Amino acid sequence: MTDYFEVHERDSAARLGELRLAESVTTPALIDDVDADTPGACHRVLDDAGSYWAAERDDPAGDESRITVLPHRGFPAGTPEEVEGAFAVDYPDVDFPSAAVVSPDAATDHSCDVSVLAGGPGYVGHASAFVDAVTAVKEATPADTALYLPGVATPRNVATLVYAGVDLVDPHRAVVRGTEGRYLTTDEAYFLEDLDELPCACPACQTPREAFDRTDCVEHNVNALAAELRRVRRRVRDGRLRDYVEGQARQDNWLTATFRRLDQQYGYLEARTPLIRRADLSAASEDSLRRVEIQRFAERVTERYVPRFDDRPLVLVPCSARKPYSDSQSHKQYHDAIKWRAHVVSMTSPIGVVPQELELTYPAQHYDSVVTGRWTANEIEFVSRVLERYLEAADYPEIIAHVSGEGYRDICERIADSLGREFTYTVTDHPTTADSLGNLAAELEGRDRYPKREREHNTIRAVADYQFGAGAGDELFDDLATAGRYPQLRAEDGEGTQLATLAQQYGVLSLTTAGARRWVESDVPTKAVDIEPFVPHGSVLAPGITDASDDIRVGDDVVVRGDAAFGVGRAEMSGPEMQSSTRGIAVQMRHVDER
Amino acid sequence: MSTPSPDVYEQGKGMDAHNAVMRDIRARNDSTYDPREPTRVWLDEDNTPDGVYQSLTIILNTGGCRWARAGGCTMCGYVAESVEGGSVAHEDLMAQIQHCLDHEAENADEPSGLIKIYTSGSFLDEREVPAETRRAIAETFADRDRIVVESLPDFVDRETVGDFVDAGLETDVAVGLETATDRVRHDCVNKYFDFADFEDACEAARDAGAGVKAYLLMKPPFLSESEAVEDMKRSVRRCAAVDGCHTVSMNPCNVQRYTMVEELYHDGGYRPPWLWSVAEVLESTAEEDVIVVSDPVGHGSDRGPHNCGECDDRVQRAIKDFDLRQDPSVFEQVSCECEATWDAVLTRERSYSLPLAR
Repeated sequence: MTDYFEVHERDSAARLGELRLAESVTTPALIDDVDADTPGACHRVLDDAGSYWAAERDDPAGDESRITVLPHRGFPAGTPEEVEGAFAVDYPDVDFPSAAVVSPDAATDHSCDVSVLAGGPGYVGHASAFVDAVTAVKEATPADTALYLPGVATPRNVATLVYAGVDLVDPHRAVVRGTEGRYLTTDEAYFLEDLDELPCACPACQTPREAFDRTDCVEHNVNALAAELRRVRRRVRDGRLRDYVEGQARQDNWLTATFRRLDQQYGYLEARTPLIRRADLSAASEDSLRRVEIQRFAERVTERYVPRFDDRPLVLVPCSARKPYSDSQSHKQYHDAIKWRAHVVSMTSPIGVVPQELELTYPAQHYDSVVTGRWTANEIEFVSRVLERYLEAADYPEIIAHVSGEGYRDICERIADSLGREFTYTVTDHPTTADSLGNLAAELEGRDRYPKREREHNTIRAVADYQFGAGAGDELFDDLATAGRYPQLRAEDGEGTQLATLAQQYGVLSLTTAGARRWVESDVPTKAVDIEPFVPHGSVLAPGITDASDDIRVGDDVVVRGDAAFGVGRAEMSGPEMQSSTRGIAVQMRHVDER
Repeated sequence: MSTPSPDVYEQGKGMDAHNAVMRDIRARNDSTYDPREPTRVWLDEDNTPDGVYQSLTIILNTGGCRWARAGGCTMCGYVAESVEGGSVAHEDLMAQIQHCLDHEAENADEPSGLIKIYTSGSFLDEREVPAETRRAIAETFADRDRIVVESLPDFVDRETVGDFVDAGLETDVAVGLETATDRVRHDCVNKYFDFADFEDACEAARDAGAGVKAYLLMKPPFLSESEAVEDMKRSVRRCAAVDGCHTVSMNPCNVQRYTMVEELYHDGGYRPPWLWSVAEVLESTAEEDVIVVSDPVGHGSDRGPHNCGECDDRVQRAIKDFDLRQDPSVFEQVSCECEATWDAVLTRERSYSLPLAR
């Protein structure tokens, strides 16, 4: 139960939150002791009531201006589990802002606003130990508990710390390194004496180089850490921290190892990664392939999506830089040759394959990758695997590969081989040359066109499968009529009652209450939020929730139901977060019926 | 043994856990030692209430500390240097003494006035050193001026100590008090007795005509640098106030093999104290009416007390100088840039952010 911490925005495990003290503090934040003399922009809000290892302690008084670290026993890295168990501290229930010191093996809910992860300095440089520690503590404590990692943050590592799920850091390591004559930047820990010029423009670095000493170095280090945190907060707000970390973490190998290890903790990241984002997704490294957004799209396309056009030829085309693909010059040319006579599926690294119905759906419309024409072995492997699984579940009478060159063609040949299918190749030199397009058109000669209605229906149903689960397209939209003009489609039932609209920006469906009722009545598992008997308008807050489905992710459409209301909205928290939180907006309501 | 303290339940739980862990760790050590050779022997100079003496220090191999066999102290690796089977016969112990006398004869111009005998256990515990051996050793060194024998407080009485006093020796019992703070001694060190037991031992030693030299441990695991420094300052002052305790040897913890401290150190959870911390305690307690000395072992190494690597030898020399002269001005002679780092660590390190600097 927290009264003093609230999460406002989520970008995977990173959060933008607020310590609701007498003076509000936006997290991720740089915090220090209430009486600290640290130079620079630290929030002096931490009050340590002391360690039981050293002395007996009185219950602290505490007040709303500060976070009181309740009397504790810190367990440094390497403490045997038996010792942690035997010396576990029972924290009192207090009504002021408080923090409990926890360890990975023994972390649990202490009803505090902040968890202090002990032993952090032991994890510096050790990616697996760090990831294990952070994920263990995060899983064991309520989602709306802030995680404070003491004694670790530097300008170089703080983005990765926040990416892993840390909300609060301190300037201690930056200060100590400064006293040691280490000049910290986002890329290095330079020996001050090696720098003939200072690569920074902070106030401390206005000091002439020859007069710049270790005291100035301390001040610079704290400034650099504070500045990097500002950047990180901006990135979290924008939903773009991962893009930054993939590049920034390269500055220290253990940080790269850390975010890769986190990628291996797929469940931890997946539960925290939103279904949709406004922001673009930059796929600029091999690590982008491991992103939850990419893996999730591939998984849903191969496991949920139903290829409803597979009674016609399949045309595999290369992706385009412009999104959605259908807006691009190249895809317009393909379309002029295909003319709705075949199903178009784009091949792309890093997404895999994108059926035409899902071209708007995040991240298909939002990613931007670095194209050089040269594919890495991992890219080829990933796209091959997705294409193979996709084709295994489909039954196309003919497969036309309108692709060229290295990469695309290699993949097609490989899969033709492994599936024992014949692919027809229509590109002679480049996919958009007259010859190639002519070949493509000729290959489809004599085929009939499918009507607009079929294409629109299949789009609604494909997005429903992707978003709500296998079978949802048919179950929720069995008697379907569409209105509006693609990409602004509305789904209605046979009597003209609106069920959903296609949100053009994200390529997902926004249900109406009528659509939501169909979901509840269908055999497709409903993502439901159960609430107390009230009628929510605007938003549902966490304390009003009695239960929530585990598989709800940020951005999901969810059914909201209670004795007084039935409605639908968009999740602002994951299901597990709704269950364990006592603060914060859980659902933004779209439609609600009183009952 | 000790009387139950208010936190006895928690202490029992903690002790069980510490002992279980320490037994496991020690079990990994499979080396054994010759029972006819002492663990170590060396010559040195020592400050005593009667002035500075040449000293012969003997670490007698007695089969080791009985407490350590139950698990024992979190920082102590000396049990690892004990003999297999657990006990050493009278003849073997006397052979060890002869080995030490030979060492002295070879390396010193004259016999040492001060003999110091440690066992990493309790020399006065008759399960460790039989009464027969104790008397024979008292006899062997009866021609010297002073003797120090190590023991837990439990075994200090007129009979055990009397053997040495009766031989005409100025006798001191070295007691590994570690800290005057019972909570720290129990929870961080895993040593079972209380300060009150130490006070009783001092009284018993005094009754027998002997004195007590208290051994303190700076920075056991789980304490921050500043907590460790405060614990030592308080401990020196409390020892100084006990009649019979005329000397305090305040020693920084080092990382010994097959110990819990080593486990923590290995995982990045323990750093031995700064030599500046040792200097700080010596300087600030110099006015106390007690001799305070310190003998940092392994100074300047990662596993021993250390500063930045530049100034370790200089600070160590100042400490050794202070040991002999008890003059706090020796510390004014040494300074280094790393004092600012040490300062920052004192201010900022907490038990949940150990260690803040390497």
